[in-house]
Amino acid sequence: MTTTTGPDARPDFEDVGRPDRMPVPARPGRSRLMTVGVIVSTILVVAHVFAFEATDFSPGALVDGWRGIARFLGEAIPPDLTWSTVLKPGLEATLVTLWIGLLGTTMSIPFALVLAVLGARNTTPNAFVYQIARSILSFFRAVPDVVFALIFVTAVGLGPFAGVLALICHNTGVMGKLWSEAMEEIDQGPVEALRTNGAGRVQVVSHAVLPAVVPQFVGLMLYRFDVNVRSSLVLGLVGAGGVGFLINKSIKTFQFDEMLTYILIVLVLIVAVDLASAAIRRRLTA
Amino acid sequence: MSADPALQITGLEKSFGARRVLSGVDLRVEAGEIVAILGANGSGKSTALRCVVGLAQADAGEIRMSGQDLTRLSGTELLRARRKAAMVFQQIHLVRRRTALANVCSGALGRLPLSKSALTTLFPNELREEGMACLDRVGLADRAHDRVSALSGGQQQRVAVARALCQRASILLADEPVAALDPAASEQVLALLADLARRQGLAVAAVLHQPDLARRHADRIVGVLDGRVLFDRPPTAVSDTDVDRLYGVARLAVA
Repeated sequence: MTTTTGPDARPDFEDVGRPDRMPVPARPGRSRLMTVGVIVSTILVVAHVFAFEATDFSPGALVDGWRGIARFLGEAIPPDLTWSTVLKPGLEATLVTLWIGLLGTTMSIPFALVLAVLGARNTTPNAFVYQIARSILSFFRAVPDVVFALIFVTAVGLGPFAGVLALICHNTGVMGKLWSEAMEEIDQGPVEALRTNGAGRVQVVSHAVLPAVVPQFVGLMLYRFDVNVRSSLVLGLVGAGGVGFLINKSIKTFQFDEMLTYILIVLVLIVAVDLASAAIRRRLTA
Repeated sequence: MSADPALQITGLEKSFGARRVLSGVDLRVEAGEIVAILGANGSGKSTALRCVVGLAQADAGEIRMSGQDLTRLSGTELLRARRKAAMVFQQIHLVRRRTALANVCSGALGRLPLSKSALTTLFPNELREEGMACLDRVGLADRAHDRVSALSGGQQQRVAVARALCQRASILLADEPVAALDPAASEQVLALLADLARRQGLAVAAVLHQPDLARRHADRIVGVLDGRVLFDRPPTAVSDTDVDRLYGVARLAVA
């Protein structure tokens, strides 16, 4: 019991009147949640039925096809390691692939930066510019780099330059979006602080926003470099230079042992790039 | 003109939707004095300061700085007038990855053209030297090239004060500047603010939650309750009962 005498009164610590158990009140909106769950799962099941149908999905075909795979592997192994005709051109082309990925990443920095600043809610000058910048980014992101490569091959001809141009376009879209999101997530405090001392928009961006996102920017760029090196392989398949071009050629001429050599080189390259970029990113965030 | 107070707020009103935060706040801060503003959370103290520096827009009332009515100004004139007031925040709001000196220099951005301020490398040498002097004023000249994130909370808040000095503000507003600091650092920051008022002639207004800090350092204490000023007196004339009325506590005696 509590003693209530004067302003110094304090409740007793023993809460005698309280029950040990209480009924759990019904959670509001539970039946609605169940209905939504049923509808969503039905839609997913139906979508899968259509998808299996449309893609001729059949594990049986894969099992029956083992003979084809075996023949293919038989011709590919052992890989052709002739230095002058396979290994040397393979290594050179792989280096080109790496350079395509590098230029495709670095040359898109200025475009990505401008579009990211204009397309981030906290740095854009106004809603109109914001929408324009967002639309440009969406467009470059939506068009796959392979499509850009096909377009640029017709413009500048077969070769690595078309691949670089294609990657610049697509990477501007992706990296610009990632960067603008990184900027939108920063703590608005320093931005507010600079606004109160009369700093203009450009000053706020360069003195409060960008310094706060440097590690994220570099991390995202390394991640994009990693992706772009892999993409530049695929671009080679459509004629935009690099080792992908050689892989395509060896498939077309049924030189599968040559192809295996190229693929092994590519494997080493990709693992190396992946490890390097992961290591740098780890050091950045540490 | 010299009779005009550095900062004079009259009848300030502000609502957020249906919630009335300020219902006619009056506040006067003279050059050379430090005024502590006490009040419960949500009583409107911070909003009043935010209206002065333009982070919030008052619905009605007057804000005068050295006699100049800000509510009658607009555009660049208003921005120029507002630069007279600098704000120090509870969450400090420095750019943590930059050095103390770079943060202090950024206080001058409002008066610099882009050609001298688009990047830190473009800052003129005079500005760096002025920034150093501001850091020295808060006792941190030796940490100029340290990243802010490497400084303690109290040191960071002093860097924020130095940034306000580099803004060349004559009015210094502090929104709960020591709420996140330990007692020793709080004492140091408050002593610094009081010293800036007395020796440099700044008009300082600090929102505080610690009545004893206010009593020890302020020239006047303003109590705010429900968007109105409840009292405005020298610390010696503020009783415990006055303070308790602000926070709505019935005093609990310790047994």
